[in-house]
This record gives sequence, C-alpha cells and structure tokens, in this order.
Amino acid sequence: MNPDGYPLTINGAPMNTMTILVADDDPVIRKLFEKRLENAGYEVTVASDGFEAARLLDATTFDVVITDLVMPGDIGGIELLKIAKEKSVDIEVIVITAHSSVDTAVDAMKKGAVDYLEKPVNFDELFLRLEKIAEVKAMLKNAGDLREAMNVTESSAAQTIQDLEIVNSNQQMLLDKLEAILKNSYKDEFSRIEEALALLESR
Amino acid sequence: MLKITPEEIKLITKYIYEISGIYLDESKKYLLETRLNGIAEEQGCTSYQDFYKKAKMDPSKAIERKIIDAISTNETLFFRDTGPFQLLQHKIFPELIDARASKTPVLKTNLKIWSAASSTGQELYSVAIVLQELLGDLSKYSIKLLGTDISDAAVAQASSGKFNKFEIERGLARDKLTKYFTLAGQTWKINDQIRAMVNFRKFNLMMPFAGLGKFDIVLCRNVAIYFTLEDRKKLFNKIADVLEPDGYLIIGSTESLTGICPRFIPKRHLRSIFYQLK
Repeated sequence: MNPDGYPLTINGAPMNTMTILVADDDPVIRKLFEKRLENAGYEVTVASDGFEAARLLDATTFDVVITDLVMPGDIGGIELLKIAKEKSVDIEVIVITAHSSVDTAVDAMKKGAVDYLEKPVNFDELFLRLEKIAEVKAMLKNAGDLREAMNVTESSAAQTIQDLEIVNSNQQMLLDKLEAILKNSYKDEFSRIEEALALLESR
Repeated sequence: MLKITPEEIKLITKYIYEISGIYLDESKKYLLETRLNGIAEEQGCTSYQDFYKKAKMDPSKAIERKIIDAISTNETLFFRDTGPFQLLQHKIFPELIDARASKTPVLKTNLKIWSAASSTGQELYSVAIVLQELLGDLSKYSIKLLGTDISDAAVAQASSGKFNKFEIERGLARDKLTKYFTLAGQTWKINDQIRAMVNFRKFNLMMPFAGLGKFDIVLCRNVAIYFTLEDRKKLFNKIADVLEPDGYLIIGSTESLTGICPRFIPKRHLRSIFYQLK
C-alpha cells in the first residue's frame, strides 16, 4: 500500500483482492468505509444493520466482515460474528467499538473475532490489519496447495510401490518353488528341469 | 540463530541416533538448526558442541527428552490416507472378528491392536472410531488399543485426547467431529467412551519388544523411513515376533518391505496393501 491509500499493483492488477462486508448503521461511516476500502482496491459490500449483513452472508461469501459492535435490531456485532463463523471459520471478522466498550471487543475476540478497532477508525491501522489477514490467508492457501500436491504425489507413489511389492512377492514365490523343484533329490535331473520349465511356462 | 558446523552435525546426528534410532544424514543441517535452536538457546548454549555436552551430562535427561520431542516428526492426521482405515473397516476387522469369535464362541472376543509410532494419537483414535462405528455395542468384545511413541510430548498430548482446530479440521469429517468430540474453549476433546478404549505410553522401537505380548494388528506407518536399513530389518523382524500367526501388519502407503523382512507377504485389498506372516 502506498501512503495515498492507493493499492500497489502487479502488472497493473490490484493486489488487494479480498471481498469485504461492512456492517454499520451510521450512513456517514458506511460511506466512508466503502470509499476508503474501494480506493484501496478491495471489493466492498455494505449493510445498514445486522439483518441485512446476515442476509448478505447467507447469499454469498466474504473474506472479511467488518462490523460495528452495537447496531439496532436483534443482530448486533457479536451475533453477526457468530453467524459469520458458523457459515465458515475462514471468514475473518473485525469488530468496531467505542473506546468505552473495549471489554466487549475483547470478548468478541475470545469468540473468534480476529481483531478490533476503536472509533474513530484509523484507516491506516485498518489497512495494516487487512494486509496481515491477506498474508495469513495466502499462507494457509499455500499450505493447503502443498498438502494437496503432497497427497497426489504420495498416492501415485503408493500405487507404484504397491504394484512393485506384489510383483516382487510373486517373483519371490516363483523362485522359491523353482528352487524346491530343482533341489528335489528324489527325481532325476532331467525331470527336475522339465518340471521347472513347465512351471515357468504355466505363468 | 545458532549456526551448526559440519563437525557438530556429525556429533549431533550421532547423538540423536543413539538416543532415538532416528538416522539423520548430513544433508539435514536445516532441520537440525530449525528444530534444535530453541532448546539450545533456552539452555544458554554458545555452540552445538556446548549443547551436545550439556545434553549428555544432564542427569535428569530433560534435554534429551526435549531433543527427541523436537526431532521426531509429528505430522499426523485423523484418518490420514483413507486407505488403511477402509482396509480395517471392510476387510481386516470383519475377518479377524470372524476368526476370533468362532475360536471362543462363549468368551468375549479379544482384539489387540498396536500403533507402533502413535505420535499425538490421531491414528489410534481413528482406529477406535472405526471399531466403534463397525461394532456398535462393544460390551461383547475385549479390545485393547495400544499407542506408543518415543516422544514424551506426543504421548502426553495423545493421552490428553485434546486437539486444536488445525489438528482436528484436516481429515476429520464434520459428522464424526461432532459425534466423537466436544468443543471446550478453543480445543476439541475426544469423548470419554473412545478415550477409554486406548492407552498411550512411551516406547523406543530400537528396544527389545519383550513384555508387549502378541498383537492381532500392528500399524507401523511412516516411522521406519527415519531408520537405517539395518534398523528397519531388525524392527520388522521384532514386529513379526509379536504378531499373531494370522495377524495383520499395516505400513505407510509409500513404504515397502522388499529386502527388509522376508517373513511377511504382501496382500492387496482394493487400493491398499497389508502384510501377513508366511
């Protein structure tokens, strides 16, 4: 992120590709979030209360939910946090709180919120937090991709090894039988060889 | 980070081999540094030479235990690689229970299963879950599930039956998770019924197997890969000694016993292999 709040780009494409849902009942704050986050390259959707946010979460998925802790109606920030985490543990939730209710924000973090911000929101701070979240998400994705690649390699190697193990075991059994036939001193050499050849041909 | 010299690598890898049987060759410099640095710094060591001396002289063997905990790989999952568990569920358990039940129709059916490198317990708990799902009422059976590992930390975690969200989410289906675990704060705890089926203790596979008794099933997956060829031969020979004549051995899906132990023959079931005594 450069100091003006514009996204850094790689070959012209914005780096910030996370989708963010902002829930706040104050229209001025909502507009501010929308503008600043969009300018920073994020894909932003806004909701004017917990209900609308819950409905949006039900219809589509987001990487991050930023929610005011106190909103009118039955769905406040804590309830929205619960709804988001039930939908997917991968959705990261940042709660916004008044300075006086930091305890509630800490409680939200115990319930799974990734972070909290105090009002008035310092956007530089928010952008830093979002970049950290994006980094962790990228690392988790990378680890998941590696695990997937390892599983594919492992299962393909396993099949090869198992095939060889069975082939080898069958060859060993054949060798054991041949040895028994050829060492059988009750028969003359000619019939031993004949029997050994018959065994080889019968494979 | 404390740097390790080529001489120190030789010294430390030899020491690790002596205490654990884990054989690390000289290419494992990075692994040694990343896994041991924390302990070395905690002990206030100025070099790995110093670290080696401190570990060897420590009468409580606390440093030795920490080294084993750090070096033994604990990568394990619930139902890691579904093959062995399907094999147990559809082939081995039904066959074994049939064989044992017809032998002693009046008595409880005995089953003894050993997870020889149980790490933090996921494999053995997965086996217990498969048994529970397959048999339902376990009162007609006498089932002993033993898990052993060389790492005290791994054995302690396995015994606690507690797993964090990263340890639990990978590999375990949602229905099994909610059926067999309860969430307490940030950790998932295995239900008492499953916990009661299993036992974990510390054991070094380099040691003699006297006193372990005989097993119907031995799981020895992805541990022999850390041993030398000679030690692998010894290990699987000892396993052959403690396996019932009609018992089953399961090894890691990319492991092989070719040239290791001629007493076993591989048998295929679907996409998995198991071994039985000749």
